[in-house]
Amino acid sequence: METILFWLCGALMVLGGVMTVTQRSAVISAVWLIFAFVCAAGIFAILDAPFVAIMQVLVYVGAIMVLFLFVIMMLQGPVLDNEKRRLLKLPLWPAVAIPPVAVLVLVGGWIRRTGTRDFGGTVPEGFGQPAAVAELLLGRYLLAFELVSIVLLVAIVGALAIGKEARKLPWK
Amino acid sequence: MEAMYAFFMDTAGMDEMAAHITVAVIMATIMFIVMALCAIIFTWMERKVAGFLQSRYGPMRTGRWHGWAQAVADMLKILGKEDIIPAEADKPYFIFAPLLVLLGSLLAWAAIPWAPGFVAADLDLGLFYIFAVTSLVVLGILMAGWASNNKWALYGAARGAAQMVSYEIPLLLATIPVVLYTGSLNTQDIVIAQQGGVLNWFVFRDPFLFIAFWMYFIASIAETNRGPFDMPETESELVAGYHTEYTGMRFAFFFLAEYANLFLVSMIAVMVFLGGWWSPIPGLDFAPAACFVVKGVLMVFLNMWVRWTLPRVRVDQLMHLCWKVMIPVTLVCVVGAGIWMMASGAVG
Repeated sequence: METILFWLCGALMVLGGVMTVTQRSAVISAVWLIFAFVCAAGIFAILDAPFVAIMQVLVYVGAIMVLFLFVIMMLQGPVLDNEKRRLLKLPLWPAVAIPPVAVLVLVGGWIRRTGTRDFGGTVPEGFGQPAAVAELLLGRYLLAFELVSIVLLVAIVGALAIGKEARKLPWK
Repeated sequence: MEAMYAFFMDTAGMDEMAAHITVAVIMATIMFIVMALCAIIFTWMERKVAGFLQSRYGPMRTGRWHGWAQAVADMLKILGKEDIIPAEADKPYFIFAPLLVLLGSLLAWAAIPWAPGFVAADLDLGLFYIFAVTSLVVLGILMAGWASNNKWALYGAARGAAQMVSYEIPLLLATIPVVLYTGSLNTQDIVIAQQGGVLNWFVFRDPFLFIAFWMYFIASIAETNRGPFDMPETESELVAGYHTEYTGMRFAFFFLAEYANLFLVSMIAVMVFLGGWWSPIPGLDFAPAACFVVKGVLMVFLNMWVRWTLPRVRVDQLMHLCWKVMIPVTLVCVVGAGIWMMASGAVG
């Protein structure tokens, strides 16, 4: 059952990825990317990492992709006139799709040649459960975690400062 | 649920996998039927409540007794209407969007604990799961607005997405103190932790939880896109917002999803803050599911009361309320509830 689900999710994820790079409309690409993310969440769920799976849906599908769609919708209108559409009609997608496949074949061939199919032993106890993730984030990687949040905070403040009209800034 | 598995495995002689699949199909069907019934009953209820609050009767004629059949008749009318897909619309996405909106709330319904042991998907991360899958609704709304190829629909969708993504934060933060108290994200564990009468419900545990409950309530109104926060549908500005171009059956999906979401957020409020299936008086828990549903319907009534009482806010007021008032207040609630817990000795 797990094997079937794994191959189903994996195949659908690859389909989502291929559709993402082959679509001409950026909005439709984004929708396929969301589809790929949902399939990735499915794979995390099969791996007994429900927290990671739900995070994948909550953060990527619920927040980041919505932001992407917003940005695409704001930019789409003026950018895609007929001239530029013609440029996009060039078969660019092989250039995007071939390198990953080449890497995949390389890695696959290397594994076959060296004969190792064991990828790093057993999964630790409680892997992907909220408690385990919390212990790592608020224990071992606390400093990195806090630094990342400060970076994000600075980014928010910066975006607000840029977004506001220059004369309204308090220091001008 | 255990009884259902036992029935299919022992009496009907299925193996475990077949029993699992059968139970899943049955539960999904029950959820869908309950959801459709909710939409019909709440449409009628909304019109009666609106009438009551505005000193008029509301529907009185169809079906004789207080116009009870009006909602059924409306549903039949909607199903019989012509299904129009605009020529310039993005067809596959136009068709898929209402289904995605409905899917988002139906998936979340699966983790609602109706009675002890009776929950379609008993997940360890139930509460978290509910918030994750309801984010699909945002995508559905955005997709509907985009695929309609109509500027009002797109405006409505953009407003809806901005509003729902923003209000998701106070909604989640308001439930965190409860998770602190319970130490679990399982929906059943959260309800079980509130056993023992009305004073053990999380809403009355400490002052911070009381504030968190009202923060949750306000955020949940914004999440369901209902008045006074119905910016995505402002009929005076945007015709009908993201579902302007939808007709017939597809419009009915949006309608169904709105009431399904309304009942969903009310049920989450009941589950997290108002004691779930426990009755207010300890020891009177002979009908847990009924108790749960009655509390849910009362929360829906409160929601309708607010909708028909307050005027609509402006977009900037809406965002101001979320980012500058509700998020700081809920953050204070999280910290305050933690300190209260340590001070009262609920945790070591």
